[in-house]
Amino acid sequence: MFAPRGRTGLAHRPHFRFACLAGPGAAFIVVALLLPLLSIVVFSFWRTESYELYADWNLGNYRDLLGEPAYRTFFLRSLAMAAAVSLVCLVVAWPVAYVIARHGGRYRLLFVLLLAAPFFTGVILRVTALQGLLGPIGLVNMALGIFGMEPVGVLMYTPFAAGLGLVYLFIPFMVTAIYLSLVNFNFELLEVAKINGARPWRAFVEITWPLNWIGTAIGLVLVFIPCLASAVTQRFLGGPQATSFGMSLAQQFGETGTWALGSAMGVFLFLASLVVILVVRRTIDLKRSGFTGALGA
Amino acid sequence: MTGTRARSTVIAMGALLVALYVVLYAPIFYVIYTSFAADIVWPFPPSFSLSSYDDLLESSLYGDALRNSLILGVGSALLSTVLATGGAIGVLRYRARWRGLALLLFLAPLFVADLLIGISTLAFNARVLDLPGNLYSAIAANAIPGTSFAFLIILSQLVRYDWAMDDAAMVFGAGPLRCFLEITLPTIWPCLLGAFLISFILAFNNLEISFYNLGAIPTLPSVAWGSLRFGLGPELFALAAIVNFIVFAIFAVMYLLMRCRIVRFGYRG
Repeated sequence: MFAPRGRTGLAHRPHFRFACLAGPGAAFIVVALLLPLLSIVVFSFWRTESYELYADWNLGNYRDLLGEPAYRTFFLRSLAMAAAVSLVCLVVAWPVAYVIARHGGRYRLLFVLLLAAPFFTGVILRVTALQGLLGPIGLVNMALGIFGMEPVGVLMYTPFAAGLGLVYLFIPFMVTAIYLSLVNFNFELLEVAKINGARPWRAFVEITWPLNWIGTAIGLVLVFIPCLASAVTQRFLGGPQATSFGMSLAQQFGETGTWALGSAMGVFLFLASLVVILVVRRTIDLKRSGFTGALGA
Repeated sequence: MTGTRARSTVIAMGALLVALYVVLYAPIFYVIYTSFAADIVWPFPPSFSLSSYDDLLESSLYGDALRNSLILGVGSALLSTVLATGGAIGVLRYRARWRGLALLLFLAPLFVADLLIGISTLAFNARVLDLPGNLYSAIAANAIPGTSFAFLIILSQLVRYDWAMDDAAMVFGAGPLRCFLEITLPTIWPCLLGAFLISFILAFNNLEISFYNLGAIPTLPSVAWGSLRFGLGPELFALAAIVNFIVFAIFAVMYLLMRCRIVRFGYRG
C-alpha cells in the first residue's frame, strides 16, 4: 500500500517524496496564513493614533475589548447566532446529503455542483435578492397582501431574518461536508444491521451517524466559524438589533481606522474559534470514525 | 410494511432536497428576473425591458470587473488545486513523520473565517511588506481557503484509491512524474476538476478576502460593494444573469454527457 523502500537503503526517500509533495502547500499556508495572523497578534499590542500604528506595547486594546459592554453584547449575539444557524443547517443538511449520496446515482456530482452554483452570484447580490423576496415590499409579502393577509414583518430587518440569510448562505458547505463523508461510507453495513434485526432508526444512530461524525463535525465547523465572524448578512438583513462582532471588527479596519483594536478583536475571534474547534475535536474518536486511511498511525 | 415506510422516508428526503434547491435558487431567479425588469428597485408588477443589458454593454467598468474576477478565480483555483493535490497524495501515501503536521496545516484555513483572513493579510501586506492592494495578493489570499477546500475534496475522494497500481508502474521503471501522469491522473481527474471548480467558485465572487486585498482594482463583488451607496446598478443584475446563464448551460452539457454515459466523472456502477 505504501511506497516500497529503495533497495539501495535510502530509507529517507519516502520522507523526501513526502516533503516534495506536501511541502509547497504547507509552506504556502505558513507564509500566507500564519505569518499574517502572527502580525495581527503583534499589532493587537500596539496603539493606533489618527490612522497610524505605533509600536508602543500595551494591553489597552484588550482592556477596551473586555471592558466595553457593547463588545460583549456583539460577541454573545454572534455566538448565539452561529450556534442556532449551525444547528438548523445540520438538521436540514443531513437528509439532503444522505439522499444525494445514497440515491443520486450517476448524477451525484451534478447535484453537489448545483449546491455550489449559487456562489457564482455574489453575496451582495444574493442578499439584496433576499431583501427583494422577503422585504416589506417583497414578493412574499405582496403575495400575502393579494390574499388579504397582514405582511410578515419578522422576515426582514430582524435577527431572525439575518439567521435565515446565514442559513441560506452556508448550508451548501454543510451538505457538501456530510456528502463527502457519506460517499466513503459503506452502505452495506446497514444491510448487515438490518439482517441482524436492527430497525432503520437504530442502525442510523449506532452505525451511520458515528461513522460519519468527522464529516459532520467538519461541516459544523465550516458553518459555525464564518457565522461567528459574519458581518455582511447582519448589516443588510439584520436591522438595528443584529449588529454583530464581525461588523464591529470590520469597522475598525474601515471607517474608524483603529487597526490595533481591530487586531485585538481579530485575535479574540480567532481564540474563540479555536475553543470551538477543540471542543469539536474532543468529540472525535478516530477508532469509531472509519476514516483510518488518512489519519491512522 | 417496512418497505413502504422506507420508501416514504426516501420521498420525504427527496422533497427536502427539492425544497432546498428551490430556496437556494429563488434569489438567483429573482436576480435574473430583475435584470429584465424596467425598474430594478420596484420590479413588480412585471414590466420587461432590456435596458440593463444596454447599460452593461456601454460601460467598461463591468467588463474590467468580470475579467479581474475571472483572473482571480482561475489563478487562485490553479494554485489551490496544485498545492492540495500534492498535499493530499503526500499525506495519503507516505507514512512520514510530519504527516500529522501537514494535515493540520492544510486544514487550518477552514478554521479561520474569511473576514479574519482578509484583515490579517491586509495588515501583513500593508504594514509588514509595504505592499499596496494588488491582484496577486488577492489571488494568494483567496488560495488559502481554496487550498483547504481542494485538499478536503481530493482527500475524501482519494481515500479509497489503490496505490498498488502506482507501485506496479514504479516496479516496471516509470518515474514518479510519468507514473502520476499515466496512472494516477487518468483515475483521479474528476476529483481534481471538482476541487478546481469549487476553489474557482469561492475565489471568483469572494467579498471579504478580496475586498481587503484588492485596493482599487475592480472585481464583481467589489463593484457591487462600491455601488451600494447609490443602490445596485442594473448592470450588475444583467451581468449576474449572464454568468448564471453560462453556468446553467455548462450544467446542461454535463447532464447530457452523464445521461449518454460519455463522461462518468468518476462514478462507477
